[in-house]
Amino acid sequence: MPSSQTPPAGSTAVDPTAVRPPIDDARIVRTTPDALRAELLALKNDGFAMLLDVGGVDYLERTPRFDVVYHLLRGMTAARPERVRVLCGVDGPEPVLPTVSDLWPSANWAEREVYDLFGVRFSGHPDLRRIQMPDDWAGYPLRKDYPLRGPALERTPRPSFALKSNVAAGTPVFGKTAAALQRQIVAARAAAADGAESLAAGQSASEPGAAKTAGGASTTELAHEQNAARGGQLPKDGAK
Amino acid sequence: MSVTERPLPLSMDIVERSDTNMVLSMGPQHPSTHGVLQVIVEIDGETVVKADPEIGYLHTGIEKSAENLFWTQASTVVERMDYLSPLSNAMAYILGVEKLLGVTDQIPQRAQQLRVMLCELSRIASHCVWLGTGGIDLGAISGFFYCFDLRERILDLNEFSGGARMHPNYLRIGGLRDDIPAGFLEKVDELIAMYYPRMRELRALLQKNPILQDRMIDVGILGADDAIAWGVTGPSLRAAGVAYDVRKAFPYSGYEQLDFEIPTRTEGDAYARFLVRLDEMDQSMRIIEQLRANLAGGPVMVADTKYAPPPKETIAVSMEALIHHFKYVSESFRVPPGDVYSPVEGPRGETGYYLVSNGDNRPWRVRTRPASLYNLQVLKKIAVGEFIADMVVMIGSLDPVFGEVDR
Repeated sequence: MPSSQTPPAGSTAVDPTAVRPPIDDARIVRTTPDALRAELLALKNDGFAMLLDVGGVDYLERTPRFDVVYHLLRGMTAARPERVRVLCGVDGPEPVLPTVSDLWPSANWAEREVYDLFGVRFSGHPDLRRIQMPDDWAGYPLRKDYPLRGPALERTPRPSFALKSNVAAGTPVFGKTAAALQRQIVAARAAAADGAESLAAGQSASEPGAAKTAGGASTTELAHEQNAARGGQLPKDGAK
Repeated sequence: MSVTERPLPLSMDIVERSDTNMVLSMGPQHPSTHGVLQVIVEIDGETVVKADPEIGYLHTGIEKSAENLFWTQASTVVERMDYLSPLSNAMAYILGVEKLLGVTDQIPQRAQQLRVMLCELSRIASHCVWLGTGGIDLGAISGFFYCFDLRERILDLNEFSGGARMHPNYLRIGGLRDDIPAGFLEKVDELIAMYYPRMRELRALLQKNPILQDRMIDVGILGADDAIAWGVTGPSLRAAGVAYDVRKAFPYSGYEQLDFEIPTRTEGDAYARFLVRLDEMDQSMRIIEQLRANLAGGPVMVADTKYAPPPKETIAVSMEALIHHFKYVSESFRVPPGDVYSPVEGPRGETGYYLVSNGDNRPWRVRTRPASLYNLQVLKKIAVGEFIADMVVMIGSLDPVFGEVDR
C-alpha cells in the first residue's frame, strides 16, 4: 500500500485512449468543450436516445487535465445495438463544460457527481450541488492530487489521562498500567467533582431529591477512590 | 379545518409549511428506504407535488480506494458496491480487465460457465431480498421468510464455493480462484429441486394477493420514452416494454449459447416491475439448469502464468513457484495502457465499468456505471402526482441498493 497521504506513484501523463489496444466495445468520439454540445445533440438526433453514464477522469499531468466521458446507447432492442463513447478534454483551474441535462434528464445527477468529485462545473445545470460529499466539503476527492484519506486535518485532542504517553509516564517500575490509569481517572474525576460541587451548592437547597441521588453516586465513586488510594488495586469486577 | 387556521409546531420531519403545500423530509432513517435515502417531498394534501431524493449518506469512496489498489485487489472493493449481488460487479470489472489484457478468448470454458452460474444465482438471491423487503413495505411479512430462506441456500452455495457468504471474491482476473469443491453440483441440484415449488408458493402468496395488487397496480407508471431518457435499465426498463438486456444485446461469457427469454411487460407500473422480476428469477433458474447439465471440464484459470497465480500445492515444493506467487501477491501484474467500458446485466440493470490503465499495476481510474443511481433518479419523475403513501411502493419497485448509489 502506498502512503495514505501522498498521491499514488507512477502518475504518468499518458493518454491511455491514444495508445489503447483494439477493443471493440464502443465507437470513440473525441471532442472539445466548444463542440461538445453540438456533437452530443447530433448524436441524440442520430438515435442515441439513452445517455448511460457521465464520468470523469483526472490525468493530472496531461493537457487538458480532465476527461469527461459520456456513454451513449442506441438501438436497444435492435439486432445490433450500438455504443458511442464521447470523451471531452477540459482544462484550467476552473474547468467548465456545457450541461446536457436538458437533452437527457439522466445527466442531472451524473453531472452533479462529476462536479462533486472532480470539480468540473457544468454551465446551465439546473441544480449544481454536491451530491455525494457534504455540502460544505472542501476539495474534490477523486482528483489525483487529493490524498487517499482526505486532507490531514487537526485531530480533536484526547483527554490527557487517555493518552498512552501519560499512562506510560505514571507507570510504576513493574508496569501496573491498569492501576496507574485508574489513579489518573480518579484524579481527573476528583478535579471535575471539585468544580461540580461548587456549582451544585446553590441548587441542592431547592431540590433535595436531586441532591440525594447525586450524593449517592458520589459515595460509590468515593469508595472507588479510597480503594485506589489504599492499594491502587482495581475492584474485582473491573479487572476482567 | 385548513392548515393556516391552526399552525402546528414544526417537527424535525417537517421542513417547511406554506398555505397549501407542506415539505416533508422522508428518511434518511426511514425503514422503507432500503438503506439511507432521504427524499424531500413536497405534498399538497396527500398528493406529491415534487420529490427530490438526497443521496450520498453511504458514500465510502470505493472508486478512490480501487485506484489505490492493485488490479487484482480492486476486485475485492468493487464487490462492495452492489452488496446484494456482489458477483455481477466483480464480473463486470474482471471482464473489463481481461479485455485490456487481451485474454478474453483464453478464459477456459468451465470458468466462464461457473461464473455465469454464480452470477445467475446471485441474481436470484438479490431478487429474493427485493421481493422479501418489498413485501414487508406493503405489510406482507410472511413472504419475507420464504424469500430469505431461499436466499440463505444461495449464500450457502457462495460460502461452499468461495468461502464467504456475501463477498466471496471468487471470480478472479483470468478465471476463478479454485475449482468448485466436490459436492457443489449436488447442492445446486438440491437448490434447483426446491426452487420451483418455493416460487409457486411465493407467487400464490404474493402475486395474486389483492392487497398487494391494489397497492401496486397503476402506481409509479414509467413509460418507455421516459425510462430511456432517464437512463433506466434492468427490470424497470423491461417493465416499460423495452426488451433491452445486456445479456442478449452484447452477449458475454457464453450467454449467446444459452436459451433464455427476456420477460417484458408494457404497463410500466410497480406491479409490472414486480412481475418482470419474478419471471426473471425463473429465467435465471433456466440458465442455471442448462449450465448444470452442460458443465465443461478442464481448468478454471487462464493458462498464461503472467496472470495466473501458481497452484497452491506447487508453492511448497518449487522455489520458482514460490517466487512467482510472491511477485503475484506483492506486485500484481501490469496492464497495458488503454480504456475500456465493460457492461454486464446485473439484477438492477446495466452495471458497467469504465476502466483506464496507464500501464501500471494499479488502475488509473475505475468508474462504475451504477444502475441503481439512474433507476433511483427517475423517482423525481414518477412520484409526481402520486400519493405520499405510495412513495414506499415506488422506491421498493425501483429496487435501489445504496452501496451502489453512493459508492
